[in-house]
Amino acid sequence: MASARDTNARQEGCKDPWSKLLERVGQQRDREAYRSLYEHFGPQIKYYALSNGMAHHAEELVQEVMISVWRRACLYDWRKAAASTWIFTIARNQRIDMLRKMQRSSAEMAVETEDLWQIPGDNENEPVTALHRILAERRVRESLRSLPEEQVTVLAKVYMESKSHQMVADELQIPLGTVKSRVRLALNKLKVILRDQAV
Amino acid sequence: MIQHHPDESLLLEYSAGNLDTAQALCLRLHLDVCSRCRCQVDMLDSVGAMLLQEEKSSALSNDLFDRILTRIETLPEDEPKPKVTTDPLRKLVGDLNALPWKRQLVNVSVYDLSEQFPDQPGQVVLQKISAGGKAPVHTHRGTETTVVVQGGFTDNRGVFEAGDFVVLGQQDVHKPIALHGEDCVTLSILSAPVRLTGPLGRLLNPFIR
Repeated sequence: MASARDTNARQEGCKDPWSKLLERVGQQRDREAYRSLYEHFGPQIKYYALSNGMAHHAEELVQEVMISVWRRACLYDWRKAAASTWIFTIARNQRIDMLRKMQRSSAEMAVETEDLWQIPGDNENEPVTALHRILAERRVRESLRSLPEEQVTVLAKVYMESKSHQMVADELQIPLGTVKSRVRLALNKLKVILRDQAV
Repeated sequence: MIQHHPDESLLLEYSAGNLDTAQALCLRLHLDVCSRCRCQVDMLDSVGAMLLQEEKSSALSNDLFDRILTRIETLPEDEPKPKVTTDPLRKLVGDLNALPWKRQLVNVSVYDLSEQFPDQPGQVVLQKISAGGKAPVHTHRGTETTVVVQGGFTDNRGVFEAGDFVVLGQQDVHKPIALHGEDCVTLSILSAPVRLTGPLGRLLNPFIR
């Protein structure tokens, strides 16, 4: 039986480099680590903004996300999400917020984005499942590479271009049912769909 | 025990951030009590992160990092704290029992929330069936997305309790009966008005809403 310390050491070994950098930002306010994160994730976030049609606000989004990363880094818990996932959820929420502001609906909007879309680790009540999460993410990463192109395309349009299934169907000129079945096949292969097993 | 879940397409669109506020609220209320779907959303979030990494990237302006550093200098010192999540619906409407419910039929009251969701083209309503009460048989002209907020109901599909999530389409004839013990409250998004289909219902249709 492995001691708690062994388990901790093994889990520490699984920590990815971006998570380590993010921890340094959170704990030591390390600006070099922050710059490395910016250089890696900044261009991805800009591309995300551009593919979402935010051409005039792409760097503004990068800025908002990076500032949020700096402010929240002390809350980051690598056991709850990989750094890339944590930053993705921040980018997604900032995009939603910016769009709301542009549509001037935020003033009337009574519910805050963060109450609806949570950042992993924000909820103290969530249990910590480091190894389980890391294994699941590794599996997702490996199987994402082996998905057929047509399935990745659908997922990418949903995530990167914020398209609804209907919009994807219209754009690719395929029936809505085909889009849905591609999504289902992809998520099955990624083992994101959980059958009635206990979790 | 949660029995009725949103399908994977909805979870995906939620994770991608593509749902409007009312839909996201329904999902959130389900996720708050469903660890299975929460786990799937966590994995979907990592799919999103991986797609972000696999896709192309765009070069940033040379001075952007310095501009960010300048803004960081002026940030207030307060550190964000993890929060114990408050139920976003309660935060929005407060105590469900204290709402000015509008009685529609003998056992059915509604409270319209549509004004709070300007980005939702349909109608957003809280519906209440009194404990043990029957709601009239009805179908839906569009789709109805519902999450049970309090109490529960049964219909021909089974038992629905707090957190259960269901999307009903045009073909679904629906005759909910509230469980005993507590009034059943649901949050629903109606893409088109409800149509009563029972004999009395046909007469009432012009009068409700």
